[in-house]
Amino acid sequence: MVKITLDRITKKFGKFTALNNITLEIEDKEFMALLGPSGSGKSTLLYTIAGIYKPTSGKIYFDERDVTEVPPKDRNVGLVFQNWALYPHMKVFKNIAFPLELKKAPKEEIEKKVREVAKMLHIDHLLDRYPWQLSGGQQQRVAIARALVKEPDVLLLDEPLSNLDALLRLEVRAELKRLQKELGITAVYVTHDQAEALAMADRIAIIKDGNILQVGDPDEVYYKPMYKFVAGFLGSPPMNFVEAEVEGDMLRIYHSRIPIPKQYGEIIKKLNITEVLFGFRPHDAEIVRGEAEGIKGEIYSFEPLGREQIITVAVDSDVFVKVFAPEEEHFRFGEKVTIVPREDRVILFDKKTEKALEYL
Amino acid sequence: MKGEKLRNLSFFLSPMIIMVGLFYLIPLVFTVYISFTKMRNWNIERYLTEVVGFYNYQRLFHMFQHDPLMRTVLLTTIIFVGITLIINVFGGLLLALGTFFINERSSSAIRLLWLLPRMSPIAVYSLVWYYFFHGSEIGTLNSILMKLGVLSQPIPWGQIVPWGAWSVIIFVNGLVGVSFGMIVFTSALNQIPKELVIAARVDGASAWQISRKILVPMMKWHLLYVLTWQFLSLLTTYPHLFLLVQWDLVSRDYGTTLALYVYNTAFGRGEQDQGLAAAAAVLLSIIGIIGGLVTLKVLQFEKMIHEPRGDIE
Repeated sequence: MVKITLDRITKKFGKFTALNNITLEIEDKEFMALLGPSGSGKSTLLYTIAGIYKPTSGKIYFDERDVTEVPPKDRNVGLVFQNWALYPHMKVFKNIAFPLELKKAPKEEIEKKVREVAKMLHIDHLLDRYPWQLSGGQQQRVAIARALVKEPDVLLLDEPLSNLDALLRLEVRAELKRLQKELGITAVYVTHDQAEALAMADRIAIIKDGNILQVGDPDEVYYKPMYKFVAGFLGSPPMNFVEAEVEGDMLRIYHSRIPIPKQYGEIIKKLNITEVLFGFRPHDAEIVRGEAEGIKGEIYSFEPLGREQIITVAVDSDVFVKVFAPEEEHFRFGEKVTIVPREDRVILFDKKTEKALEYL
Repeated sequence: MKGEKLRNLSFFLSPMIIMVGLFYLIPLVFTVYISFTKMRNWNIERYLTEVVGFYNYQRLFHMFQHDPLMRTVLLTTIIFVGITLIINVFGGLLLALGTFFINERSSSAIRLLWLLPRMSPIAVYSLVWYYFFHGSEIGTLNSILMKLGVLSQPIPWGQIVPWGAWSVIIFVNGLVGVSFGMIVFTSALNQIPKELVIAARVDGASAWQISRKILVPMMKWHLLYVLTWQFLSLLTTYPHLFLLVQWDLVSRDYGTTLALYVYNTAFGRGEQDQGLAAAAAVLLSIIGIIGGLVTLKVLQFEKMIHEPRGDIE
């Protein structure tokens, strides 16, 4: 229930720079995902918001209040961990009540609030058990209950679903998103799972090596990636990249020539660039048998997934791209095909900076 | 098949069986036997076969009741074991918790410092404190206090009875023992996921509350283990005490515990009375065994025994 402003946050551990000049605004009631590979600094950023780490330089504001030097306990944040961090020697009730007991809340109030939050998370029948007597999903609910019971302004989640099995994760994902909106609480969610970030977040900040590469809503970062890294990190399978050379109005891609996508005509002329990376998503292309205007190659492998199949096409001896095809189509190994990318979805990246051309 | 299994078992177990038999079981049987004989001055030919039944035990209990010197030994043992135990266990706990909350490099340095007493040979270590508490002006403590003008005359610390003598032996032994608890507790603390501490900090717990409500409850097995271990070793330890008494640093009467009494009676200067010493040693062992069993029960030792990982053929 606050707006979080990170103003040029840098965090160093010795000589190692974990966070490099991070500026980010997280709106009130927003669900913000911090997405990045392991070691990117996303958890460090979360802990800096919580106050566990103090930034080496930069400021943190909750609304207008400067909390940079405020200790964790006075920031009113709730924290949920990947391993849930339940106190093993306390029963569920005690675990949830612990933050309130530390605040020396009156007994009746503790009792009332714990029961309320437990009911909301459907764990009110488990209050008398120890954490080791619970399943992973139940432990996770207890951890969320403990974070919510003190009615925090900000809910910080550090990969809370990673320890759950795949099916349960899907279920909790939907529920957590719903809960966040119902409570109207500002949430920051750290994950390395791009599907989780796309599915749950209002906006996603993609972090790499301590830098925020791009911030945007799921559509934006998915369809308008600023960097090759962002495009390659989101989507499963990720975006395909093939090297291309500009030849007049055409792009040469290995053994094929295709017209420069319309949206890039002007940009390429203006930048006077000759070498680019041609990016397209597996579901934004079609596979055509025989002659067509597109990228020629041969079938390397195919993986039926039920509703559709992933086709791996060799464009050159060791250059592969993946494309979705309808389940009914049947291909043979080694069959010659042409890939026709959807023109308006193609993204061209600069080969050197790996930045999308329109952002250069 | 069965023969092979037996061969394997005896191969792996024999070193331990031989060690335990040679250095523990046989001496134990001998000690119990000697406690029923009139053995004195190691005159084996004359006394080894002279069985006197419970005479030595009767003497021992008679002395407990009527010999003021023996009562002093008993009192010293209780005070020494009790207070040193508290210092060892809680000192170790405090050090472990203290170093847990500070950064890694300085905490390692502090732990290393506390390990020094255990790493130095007993004689060297005792000598250090001999000079520190020495009763004349060459004693470090006396010389410091005299230079500061607190004292005008040196004080023979270890000869002030009872608390001067007790303080010195408790201090010297307590300092060695602290490191044991510290190491066990530090390793126990390192097993606790750091998220538990972070979660508690975010919820507003102070270092004291984190220690009391989370860390210590999660270390209760280690606490009981260190408590038992230190209890048993304090009950039977005497090397430091022997040296401090031998060098006349502390009063002989108030620096002698039951363990040192057993040693002095069996091997000391003057009249030796192995029969009586053996009886006292048996008594000491019985106290130790009872203490150990009680702890195993409290620890629920049987619960900690795991099924073997895989079948043992």
